[in-house]
Amino acid sequence: MRIVKTALLLTALLSGAAAADIAVVVNPANANAVSADDLNRLFLGRASSFADGSKATPLNLAEGQAGRDEFDNKVLNRSAAQLKAYWSKLVFTGKGTPPKELADDAAVKAAIAADATAIGYISSASVDGSVKVVASF
Amino acid sequence: MLKKSLIAVTLSTLLAAPAYADLTINGFASIKAGMTLDSDDTLYGYDDDLDFSNESLFAVQVMSDLGEKLSVTAQLMGRGNDDFDVDFEWAFISYQLSDDLRINAGRLRTPFYKYSDFRDVGYAYDWLRVPQGVYGLGFDNIEGISLYHTTQLGNFDSSLQLVAGAYDGDARISGTDVTAEIQNIVGLTWELSRDWYSMRAAYLIGEVSVGAEAVQLEPGVTFGDFFTGLSGAGFGALVNEIDINEEDGAFFGLGFTADKNDWLLVAEYTLVKVDNSFISDQKNFYVSVGHRFDSVTPYISYEKEDNEAKTEIYTPYLATLPPQLLLPVVGIVQSQAREATTYNVGLRYDFHPSAAFKVQYSSEDNEIADLRQDVLAFGVDLVF
Repeated sequence: MRIVKTALLLTALLSGAAAADIAVVVNPANANAVSADDLNRLFLGRASSFADGSKATPLNLAEGQAGRDEFDNKVLNRSAAQLKAYWSKLVFTGKGTPPKELADDAAVKAAIAADATAIGYISSASVDGSVKVVASF
Repeated sequence: MLKKSLIAVTLSTLLAAPAYADLTINGFASIKAGMTLDSDDTLYGYDDDLDFSNESLFAVQVMSDLGEKLSVTAQLMGRGNDDFDVDFEWAFISYQLSDDLRINAGRLRTPFYKYSDFRDVGYAYDWLRVPQGVYGLGFDNIEGISLYHTTQLGNFDSSLQLVAGAYDGDARISGTDVTAEIQNIVGLTWELSRDWYSMRAAYLIGEVSVGAEAVQLEPGVTFGDFFTGLSGAGFGALVNEIDINEEDGAFFGLGFTADKNDWLLVAEYTLVKVDNSFISDQKNFYVSVGHRFDSVTPYISYEKEDNEAKTEIYTPYLATLPPQLLLPVVGIVQSQAREATTYNVGLRYDFHPSAAFKVQYSSEDNEIADLRQDVLAFGVDLVF
């Protein structure tokens, strides 16, 4: 299984398939740098602000969206089931709520363009001037 | 019936909350079946007839975000071993004092163990059930407040929980349901986690009262009758050493978890003491190892219970206490001795994005009774 995954990854790398990439995006007015570690904290509910201390509102793609699986696997390094188990520990004990889910890339872009605190991710192919890319995976 | 309709009314009130409140409804359920493998065995509520309700449960949680950092949460649960009668398992208001400080007040879960808070949410862990040798204490809920602080300490995520409140419910002694109370509970739990491991410590104290007086010592004679007899014979001090009346209780727990290269390790050690009572000092631990193969996670675990009877209660009285009083005292004290080891083998299979199938075989060896009992159980845990 791992070999297959590696092979797929390698193929993706060699073919430079930019379309499959995930772009982490924020509002153009947001000047913060965002590391993979920051993303982990924000999307797992362990932090709620950007580097400059301003409030951060993470936005997820809906379950089942290809970008969601990719973000979960590449950035959070967890499977969908592991993340669901993780969040159920917090949700059913009053310790946290998962990021809001939006239907697709267009909905994420619209939400981010309208909210200076928002941070989300979309397919690189969907990036346009309404959002600013802070990281790619 | 009254309780049920009250809950129905409350639920509909919650559901019919004004449109501006942000309502989140979540739920979880477990459908499990199990049986012991020998005709005379009873373990974890199972006997040798396949039972589908004993460990099954349904829960719905309604959270209403009232804005301005205030929210209210109610979790209604029906357990199969209680005829699926619905009860408030959690009911609390939550206020976010700052980014890293939250206060919850109402009916909460007593944070004894690593998995206390979500032990009913089977989907959240790999086992079919939490290790009973360690988690069998009871006193699950607490009415009170909890201060929850999360922060970063170097490379660690730190969660500190301060809890205060009381427990008022029941406990089971020798098959009899008795009243049980813990007043003035104060506790502190601290969990540190890094990318692949976490450590946890918990310390709670409280004043424990258990109405053991109602328990039958022998047909027609209760603990209460016997205590009265002992006091009448001039042994009131001995009664104080035995009964459980506002006694200082303490709980100490340590936990460790690791999740690296798809290997999973969980271990917990707990110590329970109730001073001036016939409750034995309980030292329990478990270790569990599993491995994740994509959607299938097999695991094995080992539990050890070591409850030593407090013989020091009656040794000073060996010469002075008449045999007809001494024997029952010895019996009461010795009844709390327990030494048991349990092996579990099982697996979790994530067959659906929101549901996991589990099967677990458990074999408990009660060393004092020289009795080995086995349970096989399987079922589905899901969240929605």
